[in-house]
Amino acid sequence: MATYDNKAWLLKNIRDAFIATDDTGLCEIVMSGEDFSKIFQNKAIEEKKRLKDKAQHKPGTSKGKDNIENDDEKDIATQFDPYPDMDDSDEDPLYGSWFRHEEFAGHRQRSNTSQWLDKKELALKKAAKIKIIKWEDPQTELTDEQIAEAFGKVQIKKPEKKKSLLSEQLEKCPELPHRQYLEYAKFDGTAQLGLPTKTFKIFMTMLPEKHQNYPLIVCVIANAKIKDLIGFTCYKYSIENPETPLGSVHDYGLCIAEDDGEVDWAFPCLDNNEPCSKFGFTCLGLINLKHKVSVVTQPILDMEMNSAFQCFPKASVSGHSNVNSTRQHTGESDEIMRAINAVTEGNKGFGFQSTQPITDAPQDKLYRVQLLHKMRTSTPVQLGITLDQIEVVPVVTQKHAFWSRPKYLLHSMNSVAWCQELESKGNKTAFRIVIQLHSNNQICIKDMTLSVIRRRPRR
Amino acid sequence: MTMSGDAPSTGAGGAHVALVTGGYDHTIKLWQAHSGVCLRTMQHPDSQVNDLKINPSGQMVAACGYQHIRMYDLASANPDPVINYEGVSKNVSRVGFQENGQWMYSGGEDCTARIWDLRAGREFQCQRIFQVPAPVNAAALHPDQSQIMVGGQSGIIHIWDLKTDHNEQLIPEAEASIQDIAIDPEGKLMAAVNNKGNCYIWSLGGSPPRPVPRKHLQAHKKYALRCKFSLDSTMLVTTSGDCSAKVWRTKDWTLMRELRHDAQRWVWDAAFTLDSRYLFTGSSDSYARLWNLEKGTLEREYCGHQKPITALAFRDQAV
Repeated sequence: MATYDNKAWLLKNIRDAFIATDDTGLCEIVMSGEDFSKIFQNKAIEEKKRLKDKAQHKPGTSKGKDNIENDDEKDIATQFDPYPDMDDSDEDPLYGSWFRHEEFAGHRQRSNTSQWLDKKELALKKAAKIKIIKWEDPQTELTDEQIAEAFGKVQIKKPEKKKSLLSEQLEKCPELPHRQYLEYAKFDGTAQLGLPTKTFKIFMTMLPEKHQNYPLIVCVIANAKIKDLIGFTCYKYSIENPETPLGSVHDYGLCIAEDDGEVDWAFPCLDNNEPCSKFGFTCLGLINLKHKVSVVTQPILDMEMNSAFQCFPKASVSGHSNVNSTRQHTGESDEIMRAINAVTEGNKGFGFQSTQPITDAPQDKLYRVQLLHKMRTSTPVQLGITLDQIEVVPVVTQKHAFWSRPKYLLHSMNSVAWCQELESKGNKTAFRIVIQLHSNNQICIKDMTLSVIRRRPRR
Repeated sequence: MTMSGDAPSTGAGGAHVALVTGGYDHTIKLWQAHSGVCLRTMQHPDSQVNDLKINPSGQMVAACGYQHIRMYDLASANPDPVINYEGVSKNVSRVGFQENGQWMYSGGEDCTARIWDLRAGREFQCQRIFQVPAPVNAAALHPDQSQIMVGGQSGIIHIWDLKTDHNEQLIPEAEASIQDIAIDPEGKLMAAVNNKGNCYIWSLGGSPPRPVPRKHLQAHKKYALRCKFSLDSTMLVTTSGDCSAKVWRTKDWTLMRELRHDAQRWVWDAAFTLDSRYLFTGSSDSYARLWNLEKGTLEREYCGHQKPITALAFRDQAV
């Protein structure tokens, strides 16, 4: 139990647990600057130094100065002392904490030979169960008797009219609710052999509470998209629970959920068009998108990254009032979330230049992004967004590239009439900002295409 | 009801209704025919499935493909074959059983038809081989169990008499390959379809049953793939690469139903229910379908295969 008395050890473990179990990587982003175990470690070193100094100045010790140096290094224990294994932890300062969970989570890759041997063994075991009969050419002529026995003519009985069991079953089994999801049946992972599959625990969050006790275990082929996973979940559920009617698959979305089925509303639905193999989570909640809209508009997200887009209140309002029925909310919010992720990450290296502490002024944001021009060139710019203004500052890297140098822009937030995401492709996002110019009260439309440094796709 | 690989409680046993499909995705699927739910998937490695037949006891299904005939246990949850018949150098295109389950016959692209002895512990083996000049596409056993009709690439139908080993030949159309042969359960009619979409019908009435040409149907505009008689011999179905299956009345050889669906592609195989009221079809769009022949409506669809369905077998149960 001694371990649990150690603050540093506990902190490190809690922190690692958060980072390791969070496949979205958000925990890592949030906690990247605040590794308390490191802080404690540093404090411990300082404390040691202090105690050592004290001991050196203590009069009347029999030990020599040299001895003290060596011994004290080990003997002095401080309240901040970590456990010995902390120093040789797997954290490599060169890599930082970013790649760590990707490298160490999961199983260690086995060697090709041992994998091959395993496969071979499995195949042998399988083969042992299969009786093999090789064709043998007939050795001897069969006697007439033998021919009569094996190939004798049979009197043909006129088949009598029979009632079919299938016909009866069909009459008893009229319309089946799972038929509307039939096209998704082919994504069934349990029905495929040799194809990579993925298994999910899906909580039917959109159903009344009594149906939510147990998750549905769903196995799909790995290249099924999220929308296929939704369809297959509906298919499977309606087979097992034909009495519970489900709606159209287009009304549903899949969200990250906890082990107990609690949906994490802070995250958007998984992108419908992404293959499910891309996502590392295994617990998902099926939600009704119609209900989701109302939930999302509530300011649940109190994280700093979300507030980046709070300075575009008109955009979010218009986004919902202007809903295009063919477009799903998931796609949009997902893109935004991805953009935020990418932007936030890009910021890490760049650093906030805001004078206020992060927690105090969440609305002030500064991004280093690429501004894409019509001429297929791009230039780095600094996009600053505060409560009061929006500012685009070109970052000059090549002085001679006058042809692609963007102009400096500064607009008061009060003059921004509209801001809308026009298109989002990969890491490129096109925005339209409508500005009312103060000088002549004219409306000016600015279209910008920004590109952000994209994160590596996560497991 | 279960969809996973567990042994299903209904539909799989020998005494039950069983629908089996196989195709290009190297799997064989067992379906609960009335609900359309896939009960089990079996592995058919390294080859497409050319033909499927359920054995007389209803316990096993034989699947033939490249160089193999594999036998799968329908009653267990085993996804692998239990018996593997090998020693054929090329594709085995057709397989079938003698009605008592004593032997099995096959026809293949190695230009042979074969009899495989299925009996164990007999003092003699009844293995037989019948060589023809061209790859075999079709083989059908006469219901009197003493003749096998073998047809193939050359367009010749060989009537192989198992008792005497003699054979007679029929050439319905020059320069057209025989794709399938069917004999009605009463043993009175024989039908063959070819790659031009034509269907030829003979009557086998006399004794010895000599085939007498009866009818020529221009059944399809394209490649015909299969033909089968209904159990009551009142209907003949022909399937084709023209994305349809056509049901003909044997009484007057008029077209009774043309079964088409927007999504349906080549129709590779078909099977009637015991009461001849319904028909199963398997298609290149990876769906199997169940049609109501009286109404001409689509009753069920079976979705689960990743690639075209090229063979299906159905075993009904009398009530």
